[in-house]
Amino acid sequence: MKGSVAVVGGGIAGIQAALDLADSGFKTYLIESRPSIGGVMSQLDKTFPTNDCAMCILSPKLVETGRHPNIELLSYSDVKSISGKAGDFKVKVVKKARYVDDAKCTGCGTCTEKCPTKVLDEYNAGMSKRKAIYIPFAQAIPRVATIDAAKCMYLTKGKCGVCKKVCGPKAVDYEQKDKEIELDVGSVILATGFKPFDPSALSQYRFDHPDVITSLQFERLLSASGPTQGHVTKQSDGKVPQKVAFIQCVGSRNPRIDRKHCSSVCCMYATKESIIAKEHDPELDITIFHIDIRAFGKNFEEFYNRAQKEYGIKYINSRPPEVIVDAKNSLSMKYEDFNSGELKTENYDLIVLSIGLDPSDSTQGIARSSGIALDDFGNIATSIANPVETSVPGIYVCGVAQGPKDIPDTVAQASAAASKAASLLSKERGTQIKERKFPEEKKLSPDPRVGVFVCHCGINIGSVVNVPNVVEYAKTLPYVAHAQEMLYACSSDSQVTIKEAIAKNNLNRVVVASCTPRTHEPLFQNTCREAGLNPYLFELANIREHCSWVHMKEKEKATAKAKGIVQMAVAKSALFQPLYKQQVSLINKALVLGGGVAGMTAALDIAENGYNVTLVEKEKELGGMLREMTELYNGKKPEEVLKGLLRKVSENKNITVLNEAKLEKVEGYLGNFKGIVNARGKEIPVDFGAAVIATGARNFEPAGLFGYGKDSNVITQAQLEKMLGKGTSANTITMIQCVGARNKEREYCGRTCCTDAVKNAIRIKKANSKASVYVLYRDMRTYGVNEKLYENARDLGVIFIKYDVERQPIVQNGSVVTVHDSMLNEDIEIASDLVVLSTPLVAGENEEINQLFKIPLDKNKFFLEAHPKLRPVDFATDGVFLCGSAQAPKLMDEAISQASAAASRACTILSREFIETEGAVSVVNEAKCIGCGTCVTMCPYNAPSLYDATVKAEEVTYTTKKSKINPAACKGCGSCAAACPAGAIIAQHFSSKEIGEAIDAFDKGVKSISIGKDMVEVTV
Amino acid sequence: MLNSKAQSCYQCGKCTSICPMRRVSKTSPRNSIYNSNIYGLETKDIWTCLTCGLCPQECPQQVDFLSFIKQEREGKTPLDIAHLGVFTELAELSSRLNGNTKMEKTDSKYGFFPGCVDSLSLFLHDVKTDFGEITTSSLKLLDKIGIKPRMVQMKCCGHDMLWQGKKDVFDRLKNDNTKYLKESGIDTLITSCAECYRTLSKDYDLGIKVVHISELMDKLGLKINSEVTYHDPCRLGRHMGVYDAPRRALTANGAKLKEMEHSKENALCCGVSSFMNCNEQTKALRIARMDEAAATGAKTLITTCSKCLAHFNCLKNEKDTAKKYDLDVVDLTVFLARQLEAGK
Repeated sequence: MKGSVAVVGGGIAGIQAALDLADSGFKTYLIESRPSIGGVMSQLDKTFPTNDCAMCILSPKLVETGRHPNIELLSYSDVKSISGKAGDFKVKVVKKARYVDDAKCTGCGTCTEKCPTKVLDEYNAGMSKRKAIYIPFAQAIPRVATIDAAKCMYLTKGKCGVCKKVCGPKAVDYEQKDKEIELDVGSVILATGFKPFDPSALSQYRFDHPDVITSLQFERLLSASGPTQGHVTKQSDGKVPQKVAFIQCVGSRNPRIDRKHCSSVCCMYATKESIIAKEHDPELDITIFHIDIRAFGKNFEEFYNRAQKEYGIKYINSRPPEVIVDAKNSLSMKYEDFNSGELKTENYDLIVLSIGLDPSDSTQGIARSSGIALDDFGNIATSIANPVETSVPGIYVCGVAQGPKDIPDTVAQASAAASKAASLLSKERGTQIKERKFPEEKKLSPDPRVGVFVCHCGINIGSVVNVPNVVEYAKTLPYVAHAQEMLYACSSDSQVTIKEAIAKNNLNRVVVASCTPRTHEPLFQNTCREAGLNPYLFELANIREHCSWVHMKEKEKATAKAKGIVQMAVAKSALFQPLYKQQVSLINKALVLGGGVAGMTAALDIAENGYNVTLVEKEKELGGMLREMTELYNGKKPEEVLKGLLRKVSENKNITVLNEAKLEKVEGYLGNFKGIVNARGKEIPVDFGAAVIATGARNFEPAGLFGYGKDSNVITQAQLEKMLGKGTSANTITMIQCVGARNKEREYCGRTCCTDAVKNAIRIKKANSKASVYVLYRDMRTYGVNEKLYENARDLGVIFIKYDVERQPIVQNGSVVTVHDSMLNEDIEIASDLVVLSTPLVAGENEEINQLFKIPLDKNKFFLEAHPKLRPVDFATDGVFLCGSAQAPKLMDEAISQASAAASRACTILSREFIETEGAVSVVNEAKCIGCGTCVTMCPYNAPSLYDATVKAEEVTYTTKKSKINPAACKGCGSCAAACPAGAIIAQHFSSKEIGEAIDAFDKGVKSISIGKDMVEVTV
Repeated sequence: MLNSKAQSCYQCGKCTSICPMRRVSKTSPRNSIYNSNIYGLETKDIWTCLTCGLCPQECPQQVDFLSFIKQEREGKTPLDIAHLGVFTELAELSSRLNGNTKMEKTDSKYGFFPGCVDSLSLFLHDVKTDFGEITTSSLKLLDKIGIKPRMVQMKCCGHDMLWQGKKDVFDRLKNDNTKYLKESGIDTLITSCAECYRTLSKDYDLGIKVVHISELMDKLGLKINSEVTYHDPCRLGRHMGVYDAPRRALTANGAKLKEMEHSKENALCCGVSSFMNCNEQTKALRIARMDEAAATGAKTLITTCSKCLAHFNCLKNEKDTAKKYDLDVVDLTVFLARQLEAGK
């Protein structure tokens, strides 16, 4: 048994799985075949449905992965094979020759600039050129150059060699060879992602024409880092298009070309791309041609509605068969307009093919070489009850490698896979990670002695800013005891130089003037610490992003600005005091609220990770909605799943179940919560370090709709589900979809209702092929691999009739259903024995819990996760996690994945020996605090709280409230310090004094300020 | 579950947008599937369908529209039959006659079936085409490559009966012909007609090899020196997937082939539709196709189906037609045999 895990694939799935495992005490190898981690998400401009900048939310994760002490990044490496068994696997990995020594390369980019060979840039989906030696994108991790061996002139023809000549740190190595290594790991997680469908296979869509592009190419066109800096232009002539069309389902929902699945994400990304394009250019005319619009996720329907109402994006339900290119090379499409029955031809300037998700080559390759089963679609096969477990015990899967899914579902599965690997190896936790040893901190002498190190960053800074000039200037500043220039401040030899300078000059403050603290501050803080300085005595002055990169053409002014920035940093640093991260003890136990399938799974995963769990269920028995189900959508019996879970829960000694129980009170913070559970009238105190909310949801009761409640023949889909446990004698069954959903009162889509309806329709037809089953629908949303259920239902003769939201079906006497068939444009009457209303899940009694934990709800009263994309099971409040239908409606396998994910996230806390606080937290000056409570309201992390204090002011004594900030919960954001009316709170490291001193220092250097019409010019 | 998979139709409309008939009428394959599958309603469209095979080639859900149409038409009355129904009457009549003429006795394992060229010649005077020349040409060409087939004098293959919904007539013809061929002892049946070729290959179960003559013509050793264009008949092309053989027969013998805008899988239909619906819509299809042929600049339009041949030549030989086509329309065998003769 090994305490290490190999994660294959460095997209968002692999990154999340690796971070979770590394945070829970496992050595993690992250293996990525491309030069940088980041996957397809790194190519996206924005993410639906919030239109967050994709790179802005991904980049911090990339950085965190790159510098995590427990993660060993093997980029530009392929997995050849996996052998062995659970607990002891051998993973053969080929580290492909980069022809650059990654230990020496600083990522300065000089080689890239000088390289004469241009090749198509895959990061920009082939729409621009990169060099043969390249760093794939600005935020790449590792930030190391790679030579494209197939295109490099030196490697192919023996000519050139420019990169080697210009490389400062001598990192280029043409002799490098592929290297095969073998990793010994306890478990493997496959996060091998997908391959975008190649539309040239569908020749009728004329992908050969420059103005027919893929959705990924369009995404790059929209991106500020793309080939046109975010301007949507035609590839043919560089002009701005006026009419744009999207064709959906290119490479999806097409059994003819063996693509039977729905790719799950295309409807939403087409909507997102259309909205962004309209934001860039409101004059654009955009049409999306589709079959069904599948806006099934949280806030997706709202997003789709906004696209139509606010942005005027047109959706046409019709599939154009071909793109027509005329003699003038212009584009048009013919389509059937279902409303008028006319065949229409429209001209377009740009046609975007919404390409589907194919299984990746690595998924297929590794599955074949290592004997892992694939499903009918070429994805790694899993089951509903075990959605991240492959056919080989100890090998887990997550993300699109398991089936098409969007980013939050991918992230949840990634954490789930991490949880499974961690439970398997829980006895080996912490055995393969190394703790860093540092020398004693030197005592801080009272006089500041600042060392300034100014970086050339190759030519990034040095070619614009006069670095020696800045160094000379720094030497003149107060407190500066040493100043020098460096070619690459971040290279490993520079760290040695900095440490020597600290020792030789007895420095007690360090300023590095180079790039962004986002990526480099931890490195230099570490260097300071190794030299015996407290890491908070370090300051980074950003003279690259803030100076040389933005003032490339104004070298003198840039030099002056760099001096100003250095001057500010020096002034600020002189005030720095050592800060210490505090170690707070924690309770290594968890509380899980809700004993449905999600809650039981979360509890089991945490227990199997080796921690005690209290599982609180309000009903007499565990099981939740699973008890109401009579068949799973793979045909399996839910009782078996339920029995298995109940048995495991009762056998696990780490789990305490409290039935007929309710959490009544909770206080405390991350790692140290204290709660009171009322179980059958008895108050039981429960202490825990982390909590998982898995309280589920309930079925919407459609009282008064379509005669429900009046006619016994009108039932809900949930009631039919129950009824089908015994079977039905009804011969004509009519199901009405979207009852109480996708309307004014409840805008969201129920997500599961289409799959449920199709499943039950199949059951009826299988039991009685003569029965007539009608499904009245608006859009069939059987996304992902569940498309096969829809296909199956049609094969069995289930009849699907599309109705329009404006013309709702009418049910008379509980039996005659009149529907306006929008395909036929006529009213149809169906005499039905049974009318089944498919209703969505609605939020349960979440308001009580949200008050207890101070966690937010969304407008539909479901719990609101910390971030809709990358933190789907976290809350902004640390230590509290979320899973299942309490977050939004979801299918069982999705709820199970989320439950394991929440468990994994909880284990990243429970596995710690102590909670380490931020060093730069806010503190309250008690003497100034007036106890007004502003800080308590303001804090997003629940860190400040009020306590009773007695104040003796000479002759007056009174009792009042005082604020204290819990350092374990504080993130040091400074909101409270800014809001405090008494000025009683200090945001350490960013105190008013420190920032004020920096501003003053800048003021001193200012020669003149002139205010023009559009700009303020400052001369320093 | 229906064989046609019509129930899988998602109503995406791709078929309607690609349908050649839709270019000239309000036909909608999507609509006819919907009406039939969901409501059991018959639409006019099932009769205007050309059964050209273009839409099933495009359908993402793999609905077999040809099987669907065949099933829908069975036992029902067509909207309209061209040529006053004479060919249908003939087929019906022959299906009720006893047996077939005896086949000539030779040792050849090859049989040659000329199809209905004789009755075409008999009734289609306006077309000004010697359909019989297809048979004489075929025999000359086969002789040139050393095949001396026996003449198969069986009844009509029943192609039009099958597609006109007269399954009972078709079945009688099929039974008689199957018996006839089984008794004949031939192991390879050669036909010069694309429709016979499809029918005998796919709708019969003969257990012998069925070959279209175009598949044997690439080794004639001719030195043709002219530009031609080739029209893919639906039956030979999309129904049977034979695209290259007739082209090889032309180019291997020296002809310069100029392709039309739509060719092979995407070829436009001549509009003949099993001798149903001769009207202004089907004429529009002929014009569309002839325009494409004329646009190639070739002076000869070659095809491998006697119905396509009849249809194009009918248009070409109209009196006082608004459009004049400076283009010979000939069957592949006739074209090759004339070249063979000229070379002698």
